[in-house]
Amino acid sequence: MKVKVISRSVDDFTRERSQDLQRVFRNYDPSLRTQEKAVEYVRALNAVKLDKIFARPFIGAMDGHIDGVSCMAKNPTQLKWIFSGAMDGDIRLWDIASRRTVCQFPGHQGAVRGLTVSTDGRMLVSCGTDCTVRLWNTSADNIMELSNSTKNSVEPASVHVGKNAYLAVDHQWDSELFATAGAQLDIWNHNRSEPINSFQWGSDSVISVRFNPGEPNLLATSANDRSIMLYDLRMVSPVRKMIMMTKTNSIAWNPMEPINFTAANEDGNCYSYDARKLDEAKCVHRDHVSAVMDIDYSPTGREFVTGSYDRTVRFFYYNSGHSREIYHTKRMQRVFCVKFSGDGSYVISGSDDTNLRLWKAKASEQLGVVLPRERKKHEYHAAIKKRYMHLPEVKRIERHRHLPKPIYKAATLMRAMSDARKRKEERRKAHSAPGSVTTQPLRRRRIIKEVE
Amino acid sequence: MPETKRKHRDETNHRRGHSKPNRNSRKKKKTGPRLPSSLQKELDRLNPTAPIDSDQDIDSADGDGAERELLPQDFYEYEEQQAEEESKKNKRYDPGSVDQIQYDLPIERSDESEDEIIQSDDDNDDDDDDDGMRMTGDAADDDSSEEGDGRHTRMLQGITGMPSEAFEGKKKRKMKDDGIPELYPESEYNPSRDVVDGDGQISIDDLLNPLQDNPGFGKLRKRIQQIENNSKAIHAPLRTADQAKVERKAAYEISKKEVTKWQQIIQRNREAPTLLFDENIDLGFSTVGAIASEFEPRTEFERKMAALVSDDKVMEAYKKDGSRLLEMNTVSVEEEKDRQSRIAKMRSLLFRHELKAKRIKKIKSKTYHRLLKKDRLKTEYSKIQMDPEVAKEFAMKQERLRAEERMTLRHKNQNRWAKRILTRGLNSQDEGTRAAIAEQLQRHSELTRKMHSMKDSSSSSDGDDEDAGSDQDMGSKVLGKAIEKTMKVIQDDDETPKSGLLSLPFMRRGLEKNKAAAIEEANLALQEYKDSKKKLENSVGSEGPEATSISGRRVFGASKTQISDAGNKVKSDYNYGSSDSEDDLRASKNGNIETQRSNILQKDVNTDPVLIQEDTDNHQESVFKDFNEIVKNPGPKTTYEVSLFVSDTWKKAGNRDEKGTNVKKSAMPSGSVRQDRKDTEKEVEEDSDTDSEGQMVDRILTSGSKLSYELPSQEELIRQAFAGDDLEDEFEKDKMEILNAENPEPEKPVLLPGWGQWTHVQKKKGLPSWMLKEHENAWKKREEAIKKRKDAQLKNVIISEKLDKKAEKLHTKALPFPFTSKEAFEQSMRVPIGPESNPATAIGALNRPEVVKRPGVIIKPIQFEEVNPHEKPEERRGDKHRSKKNKGSGGRSMKKTSA
Repeated sequence: MKVKVISRSVDDFTRERSQDLQRVFRNYDPSLRTQEKAVEYVRALNAVKLDKIFARPFIGAMDGHIDGVSCMAKNPTQLKWIFSGAMDGDIRLWDIASRRTVCQFPGHQGAVRGLTVSTDGRMLVSCGTDCTVRLWNTSADNIMELSNSTKNSVEPASVHVGKNAYLAVDHQWDSELFATAGAQLDIWNHNRSEPINSFQWGSDSVISVRFNPGEPNLLATSANDRSIMLYDLRMVSPVRKMIMMTKTNSIAWNPMEPINFTAANEDGNCYSYDARKLDEAKCVHRDHVSAVMDIDYSPTGREFVTGSYDRTVRFFYYNSGHSREIYHTKRMQRVFCVKFSGDGSYVISGSDDTNLRLWKAKASEQLGVVLPRERKKHEYHAAIKKRYMHLPEVKRIERHRHLPKPIYKAATLMRAMSDARKRKEERRKAHSAPGSVTTQPLRRRRIIKEVE
Repeated sequence: MPETKRKHRDETNHRRGHSKPNRNSRKKKKTGPRLPSSLQKELDRLNPTAPIDSDQDIDSADGDGAERELLPQDFYEYEEQQAEEESKKNKRYDPGSVDQIQYDLPIERSDESEDEIIQSDDDNDDDDDDDGMRMTGDAADDDSSEEGDGRHTRMLQGITGMPSEAFEGKKKRKMKDDGIPELYPESEYNPSRDVVDGDGQISIDDLLNPLQDNPGFGKLRKRIQQIENNSKAIHAPLRTADQAKVERKAAYEISKKEVTKWQQIIQRNREAPTLLFDENIDLGFSTVGAIASEFEPRTEFERKMAALVSDDKVMEAYKKDGSRLLEMNTVSVEEEKDRQSRIAKMRSLLFRHELKAKRIKKIKSKTYHRLLKKDRLKTEYSKIQMDPEVAKEFAMKQERLRAEERMTLRHKNQNRWAKRILTRGLNSQDEGTRAAIAEQLQRHSELTRKMHSMKDSSSSSDGDDEDAGSDQDMGSKVLGKAIEKTMKVIQDDDETPKSGLLSLPFMRRGLEKNKAAAIEEANLALQEYKDSKKKLENSVGSEGPEATSISGRRVFGASKTQISDAGNKVKSDYNYGSSDSEDDLRASKNGNIETQRSNILQKDVNTDPVLIQEDTDNHQESVFKDFNEIVKNPGPKTTYEVSLFVSDTWKKAGNRDEKGTNVKKSAMPSGSVRQDRKDTEKEVEEDSDTDSEGQMVDRILTSGSKLSYELPSQEELIRQAFAGDDLEDEFEKDKMEILNAENPEPEKPVLLPGWGQWTHVQKKKGLPSWMLKEHENAWKKREEAIKKRKDAQLKNVIISEKLDKKAEKLHTKALPFPFTSKEAFEQSMRVPIGPESNPATAIGALNRPEVVKRPGVIIKPIQFEEVNPHEKPEERRGDKHRSKKNKGSGGRSMKKTSA
C-alpha cells in the first residue's frame, strides 16, 4: 500500500529567530472560496465607512497675523517652514510642526501680495501694494539665528522700489530669476536692482504669475482683462494670450506634467489647459460655488487643492470634473491662499480670518509611524475601495459630505440655474432649423478667444 | 526667431538707405564693365521695360546668368580698379564715386542665409530677384517721377560715356552739400559727412577692393558676387503691433515644439499603474557598528578613554586574562552530556505535564470539573488516612468545625428557613424539603459526632456479615458466601453510577468494557461455586420447574438440550447493560467459552438461581429474574430468532432480517415481551422474509385488475394520477397574482363623501370626467405594461420583472467611466485581491496604490529625460537594485526626490 506523506525539508521551516513567523500554507484554489467577492465587497463597504469615521482632516490653526492672510510661500528645501504674508504688511515664518511663528519680516507698508522662495531656500522675495519688492535672506542658519535672538525681526537683504503696486511674484525653478506682476510683468535677477526684462501685453494689470517648475523658462500670468498669458523667457517674449469670460485669479502648473496648467477662475470653476491648445480646456473642475481664489498642485501632480471665496477648500484630481473632498470649518472665512506641503501629505490654507490652517491632504490618513502591517492593511482597503467604488452603496457613502448650509443652498441654486440654462438651450435648438444652433461644450464655452 | 530678428534688423537698416541708391547700385554693378556706349544704351533702353516683366525669365536665366557674369567679372577687375582709383582720387570732389561705394551697401546682406530667402518667398511674391538688370519694386514706385531724370542721365551718359550714377550722384550731392564746410581733414577719427549721414557707409566692397590684386581671393569674390546677384529688395516694414504678433506667433510655435518633448513622459506616467516617489533616499549609517566606527573622541574625557582603550598594554593584558579565564572554564564532556540529558529529561517532563494540564484545562464541561474537584477531595481523604501528619491536621480542622457547630448549632434547625418549615409541620412539606431537613440534621450529627465513632461505622458491615453467615455449616457457608459475593459483584456492575465522574458517558463506556470482562470472570467463578456447592449438597435439580413457576414465565423448548443454553444466557445477559453493537463480538466470544464448559454444566444449573433469588434483595429482583429466566429458557437457536421477529419493530427491521446477521439480536426485546408474544409470532415467522413485499404487490395487483385489463395510455395514466388537482388553473392563478402584484390595478376613483356635493345636481353628475379619464389611462397603462412583459406570450412561464432590491445594490446603473465594456468592468473585479486568496508575494503588487510616497520626503518637480517609447519601463532603469525592487510593481518611479 502506498501512503502519501507530506515531505518538508527542515531548512525551509526552521526559523532563524523566535520572532520570525511560522510558514503557513494556504490553498488558494478559488473554488474553495466561492464567496470571496462578496466578502471583499463587504470589506470595501466597511473600509469606506471606516474612512468616514476616521476623517479628521483638520490638524490645527496657526494664528498670529492681525489681518487677512493674502499669500503664502513654501520653502522648497524645508518641509516644516512656510511663509505667509498678510494684508497689513506682516510677513511671518511658521514652523508647521509646532504651529508657531519662528520669526517675522517687517517692512512692507501696505498689503503683502506676493511671496516666493528661491529653489535653494536662501532667498525670500516679497512684494506688495507699497510698490516695493523686498528680498530677505532666509537661509537655514540665518533663520536659526533669528529665531534664537531676542529681537526677532529681520532687515531685508535688498529693497527695490517700482512705479506701481505689485500683485504677485513667483520664482523660477533652479535659477536666480523671479517675476513680479503688477502693471506689467517684470523679470528680475537676485543681484540686480532693476528688472532685467519687462513685458506688457494689454493695458490691464497682471494679477498672478506662475513659473512652470518643470519647464522653468515658461511662465503663465493672468490679468485683470480676463486673460491668461503665456511667456517664454528663452524667446524673451509673450507667446500666447487667451481671454475667458471671467478673470482668472490664480494659475498653477502641474509639476509632473509641464505642459498642463490649471487656472482658478472667478466663476467658481477651475480649468485645466494644455499650454499648446488654449482654445479648449482639457478639463473643467466644478464644485465651488464662488470665485476660486488660489490653487496649488500637489507635488505628485495627481491632484490639486483650491481655496475659494465660498470659505471652503476643495481637492480635485487632475482629471476629474468634481472635487474629491471639501474642507470647511465654522470659523474659516474667505480662503485667499492654499499650498500643498512639499511631501504632498498636508495642505495649508490662509484665510480672511487671519489664520493659517493645517489640513491633512487625505482626511482619514493615519498620521505618525505606520507599521508595515498597518500599511498593508491601508493599501488593501484602498485597493478594494477603488475596485468597488462604482457600486452604488459604496459610492454613496464615499461621496457623502456634510456641507454648511449656505454652500449647500448655493450649490443647489447653481445646479438649478445650469439646468435651466441647459433646458432653454435644448428648447431653442429644438425650435430652430436643424444645425442653426450649436451648443458649445463647457470646456470651450467660457473661452472668448485666443489672441496671437 | 533669430532669423526673424536679424531680418528685422536688416530691414531697419535698409530702411535708412534709400530705394534709389539701391537701384543705382544694381545699375552700377551691371554697368561696371565698361561696355561700348552704344551697347550700354541698348541695354538701358531695354531695361526700363524689363522691371516688372517676368520672374521666370530671371529664374531660367539664373544659371547661365551666373556664368555669364563670371566673364565680365574677370574683365572689370582692372576697370574697377581704375574706378576705385578715381574715387579715391576724387573723394571730396567727385561725389559720384562716393555714391558708387555707398550703393554697394547691400553687401551687408551677404550674411543672410537661405532661410531668409525662403521666408521672403512666401512673404512677398512681388519681391523679385533680378540679375541686376531690372529695377526693384521700390524703384518702380519712383519710376514715373524719375522718368525724366532717367532720360537725362541717359543722355549725359551718351555724351560723356561715363556711368549714369555719376550724374545722379552729382545731382544729389548738390542738394545735400549745401555749404557745410569740412572743418577737419577727413580721417578715421573724423569721418566724412557722407559716412556720418549714412550715405557714405563703408561697404564690404570697400574692404574687399584692396584684395582684388592679391591672388587667392577669387573664390571669395565669386561668392560675394553670387550673393549680390541673388539678393533682393527689402520689404516695407510691418506695423509694430503686427510685427509683435508675428513674433509671438513664431515664438509660440517654437515654444510649443519645445514643450511637446514632455508628451511621452507624461503619457507614460499617466499610464503607469503606480508612481513611486520614495526612492533614492540616503539615510546614512544604519547600523550601530557603522556609527561607532565613525566615532572620534573630542572631549578630554573621551580622549583619555580612547587612549586607555587603545593602549597596547591594556589590550595585551586583557587578551591574556581572557585566555586564562577560558582555560578555567573547561568542563568535561561527560559532565556536559549528563547535564544536558538531565535538563532534557526535566524539560520533557515539564512539557508533558504542561500538555496534560493544558488538555485538562481545555475541557469545558462544568460537571467534569466539579467531579474532578470531588475526586480531589476524595484523594485528600485517602491521604488523610495514609499520612498521620495530614490526618492530624484534618482532625484539628474537623475539631474546630465541630466546636463551631456545637456552639452555633447551625444545622440544628436553627435558621429561619428550617424554623418556618417546622412551624408549618414537616408532614405538610414535600419530599425535597423533608429530605433537605433530614440532610441538614444528618450533617449536624456528623459534625457533632466524636471522632472515634467514625471509625466504628466503617467496620460495622464486616461484623454484620460475620453474624449473618454464622448459622450455616462451614463448607456450604463459605461457598454461599463466595457465590453471594460474586453475585454482588455482578449486581454492582449492573448499577451504573448516577453521579460522579464515572457517570460521564465517555467514562461509562470505558467502565462498561471493564465491567464486561469482570462479569465474565464472575460468572465463571459463580458456575464453579455452584458446581461445588451442588456436589456438597447432593441435591437433585428438581427445583428448576419450581423456579420457573415462581418467576411466572412460560418456557418454550425447555425439553431441548441445554448445551447451548450457556451461550444464550450470556448473550442475553449482555443485552441489559451494554449497547447493541458491542454485543455481537462479546456474544460470540462468550459463546466459545461457554461451549467449552457446556459439558460440565448440566441441567442442574436451573436450580441455582432459585437460591440466589432467595438471597437477593427486592430491588435487585428484576435483574435476577432476567438472569434466571435466560438460564431457564435455553431454547434452540431457531426459536430465539423467531422471537426477534415477534418484536414491535419487526417491520422496520424487515429488510435487515433478510441479511440474517447477528445484528438482529440487538433488536431483541426484553424477555417478558418476547415470551408473551411468542405463540402468535411463530406463524408469521415462516413467511417473514417476503412478507411485506408480497403484500405490496398484492395490493397493486388487486387494484389494477379491478379497473380494467387493458393497459391505459400514458397520458391517461398521468391524468388519472393527477386527477384531483387542477395544476393549470393554479398556475394561471399564480401568474395573475404575480402580474397584479407587479402591475397593481388602479384604484377605483372615489369621491370623498360630501366633497363637492353641494347640490343634488352635482351628485347626479357622478365622478368628474378627469377622474374617469385618469382611471382609464391607468388601466391602459397597466394593460400595456402587462403586454410588454417578457412572459406575456409565454403561456406556461412566469418571468418576474420585480426588481430585487438587494441585488440592485450590487449593480451599477451605467458603465463606469474608464471602462469601455461591461465585460471589462466585470473582469476588473473578478479575481479577489485579499491576503486570504493570494500569496504574500503577490499582494504587494495587487494592492499597490497609484502614488507611493513617503511622508516627510520632499518631492521635486519633474526633470526631463529622454524616453524611448518602444522601450519597456523596466529596461530603462539604470541600476539593478531599483529594477529589482520594481519588478513586481511595473510602476513608474520618479527620481526627483530628496530627503
